[in-house]
Amino acid sequence: MTPLLSMKNVRGGYGDADILHGVSIDVASDEIVVIVGPNGAGKSTAMKSVFGLLTLRGGSILFDGDEILNWAPNRIVQRGICYVPQVDNIFREMSIHENLEMGAFLKKGDLSAAYDRVYELFPDLKERRKTMAGSLSGGQRQMVAMGRALMLDPKLLLLDEPTAGLSPKYMEQIFQICRDVRATGVAILLVEQHAKQALAFADRGYVLAAGQNRHEGTGAELLADREVAEMFLGG
Amino acid sequence: MTFLELVNFYIIPGLVLGSIYALGAVGITLVFAILRYAHLAQGDLATLGAFVALAVVTGLGIPPLAALPVAMIFTAAVAVGIDKVFYEHLRERPKIVTVMASLGIALMIRSVVQVIWGVDAESYVRGIVRPQTYFGLRIKDREIYTVLFMLFLVGGLMLFLARSKWGKAMRAMSDNPNLALLSGIDNRKVVMLTWIIAGGLCAASGVFLGINTEIKSMMGWNMLLPMFAAAILGGVGRVEGAVLGGLVVGVAEELSVLVLPSEYKAAMAFVILLFMLLVRPTGLLRGKVL
Amino acid sequence: MELIGLANYALFMGIFIGIYALLALGLNIQWGFAGLFNAGIAGFFAVGAYTSAILTSPYAEGRLGGFEMPFFVGWAGAMVAAGLIAWPIGKICLRFRSDYLAIATIGVAEIIRLVVKSEETLTNSARGITNIPRPFGDLPYVQSQAAYLSIVLLCLGLCYFLVQRQFNAPWGRMMRAIRDNELAARAMGKNIEGRRLEAFMFGAALMGLGGALFAHFNRSITPEAIDPMVATFLVWIMLILGGQGNNKGAILGAAVVWIIWSMSEIATDQLPAEYAIKAKYIRLFLIGLMLQLVLRFRPEGILPEPTRGESRPAQVSAQEKD
Repeated sequence: MTPLLSMKNVRGGYGDADILHGVSIDVASDEIVVIVGPNGAGKSTAMKSVFGLLTLRGGSILFDGDEILNWAPNRIVQRGICYVPQVDNIFREMSIHENLEMGAFLKKGDLSAAYDRVYELFPDLKERRKTMAGSLSGGQRQMVAMGRALMLDPKLLLLDEPTAGLSPKYMEQIFQICRDVRATGVAILLVEQHAKQALAFADRGYVLAAGQNRHEGTGAELLADREVAEMFLGG
Repeated sequence: MTFLELVNFYIIPGLVLGSIYALGAVGITLVFAILRYAHLAQGDLATLGAFVALAVVTGLGIPPLAALPVAMIFTAAVAVGIDKVFYEHLRERPKIVTVMASLGIALMIRSVVQVIWGVDAESYVRGIVRPQTYFGLRIKDREIYTVLFMLFLVGGLMLFLARSKWGKAMRAMSDNPNLALLSGIDNRKVVMLTWIIAGGLCAASGVFLGINTEIKSMMGWNMLLPMFAAAILGGVGRVEGAVLGGLVVGVAEELSVLVLPSEYKAAMAFVILLFMLLVRPTGLLRGKVL
Repeated sequence: MELIGLANYALFMGIFIGIYALLALGLNIQWGFAGLFNAGIAGFFAVGAYTSAILTSPYAEGRLGGFEMPFFVGWAGAMVAAGLIAWPIGKICLRFRSDYLAIATIGVAEIIRLVVKSEETLTNSARGITNIPRPFGDLPYVQSQAAYLSIVLLCLGLCYFLVQRQFNAPWGRMMRAIRDNELAARAMGKNIEGRRLEAFMFGAALMGLGGALFAHFNRSITPEAIDPMVATFLVWIMLILGGQGNNKGAILGAAVVWIIWSMSEIATDQLPAEYAIKAKYIRLFLIGLMLQLVLRFRPEGILPEPTRGESRPAQVSAQEKD
């Protein structure tokens, strides 16, 4: 079966200098895939390359049958990929409900089904839908950010370090939400700093270093790999 | 001086002047928050609006309030046009370059006004208007409708921002531009809307200044500082803050005459501006600081 | 006769170019090297002109003055006064983005204009200050003009030399580092506000000197002597067209723009009277348009900033994150 997303040997960076020197990542339509690696390995950059946020100078990115290399983010959103940045990922001065509404900006017609779907995933948000997003706690903000991204019914959700700065309790909750989201038929590609926990929870993982693929495999395989363990998992 | 005198001679004229500043300050605050630069041609756009209304008033013989919509639409179109021709291609450059360009635009608009209408003071209607007395308050009709129109226009704008899809898109762009773009909000449309609103309100500000005082080519430039002081006092990005700021600056300018020579009325706005930057740059209602 | 007239005109032009070059050099310190937007050049110019006028002019009934100090004391005083006016403004506004400084400098110029117009005891309001001594003013006309031109050029040369040396010193490198990447400079523990304040004050001091040179050249100064918007704009266009960040460019820009400006004045003076007034405003329109064109098509100027590494102001956005 062909994967939903297939990055092959992608090279590029923000300005003239390349940060990615050949990254290849596949995500199947029912998978949660995690990218881990040391600081500066290009994890977030690899994810942003899918979303058209940097200049790519080589490789290919196939999504659902289309070559989306260097498409504008706008077009990529409409094609079915949504992206949740690591920071500044909500509209602070708008209510939760308005945040979701902005997420569905490109959608025509009735939004009630989309709201229902998101509020079902995040019942906490439904209760506080009129609350200003900026006044929420870190974990709740992350939920708003994910909810916003899910409003367009994407096929693939990109999450950039969704658990950064969250307590272990919230981390577990976010991971659980990811599983729930996957259960609704959305594939997830996420970047994680907490490599151990993330590999334990994801279906498959990629280890990047210095802008290149280093290892790949199922979460369990990578966790068992001695080299990987030495690299980041604290031995 | 009795309390009534204070109200009649300082507070009421201050609130009227403040309403006029408020209209311009709302545009400034929106442009500052959404496009993220200080637009220095705002005052001269108001001048243009006032003169366009003058042309309509003298050409068609209708009252200035009837000419207001024409002036607002015309000025809004000019604002959109200026953005397309002069500002749009500077968007990728540091914002301060656009600030500089806008100062040049201010000069260009003013000189167009001076070439077409000259530099003499004009007025919409001749003759002296006597104030009416309500419970001891001396108020002119035009003062009442200046304040009412300001409240009506700003109220409409706030409703638009709170309820409509594109109003929310404007707030989103002001709140978090990157995320707004990631959400697929069309930046060009938001920018255009911002200019339509800012231009229209500017024209209203100019027309009301013309109704209450006189129409001359420097009128808008002289309002620039008070309008910026109002926007910063209220908190950049806060529409209701700009109104509050406008009223405070207007009243403060009128009251300053009690302690300062009247030549320095215009300095009041500058003092308020520096004071706010010194003690509370986010403004009274917690706006942005760029 | 024709030849002498031409020579006189050239001397006159030379003096004005020299004065404007000083203003452009001052603006270059502020904008070209520190990225600070000063929209009130005319205000600092006026402070310098009036300070020197008060210090050097003979006693006159009803206003402050009668110190009759030598002209160089007046000029030094002009620089100090303009720098001091810049201090509180910079102190308050330099913490923020330059937009705020732009507004504040418009404000300060406006207030200076009000003070100049209305403070009888300080500036003699609308009548202005007259009898300002001019160095070598007793010589016959042409020699006197030539002598004054030499003084202006000497001042300009000295300022150019000092500014240029300062730019190549660690101070200048730090200024550019701050301008091009404020975050990195901050992370390195640089005192950004302090450096900016210095640049703002130095630039203002040069503008004050320009004002003083102007007042002594005319032997008088009145509120109507210069149009604030025109002066401010001309200097901006001079700097940007000449090459922001490049001191030679600032001087070259002053020469080019002043010549164009004077030629346009000569051209419009030929028009019949009823058009001549309109022509004045058309010329204002053209200055504004010229600024737009330069910003759009030639932002790096005729002489671009010498690139050291990758420090081109037009390319580096202060907004960029990451």
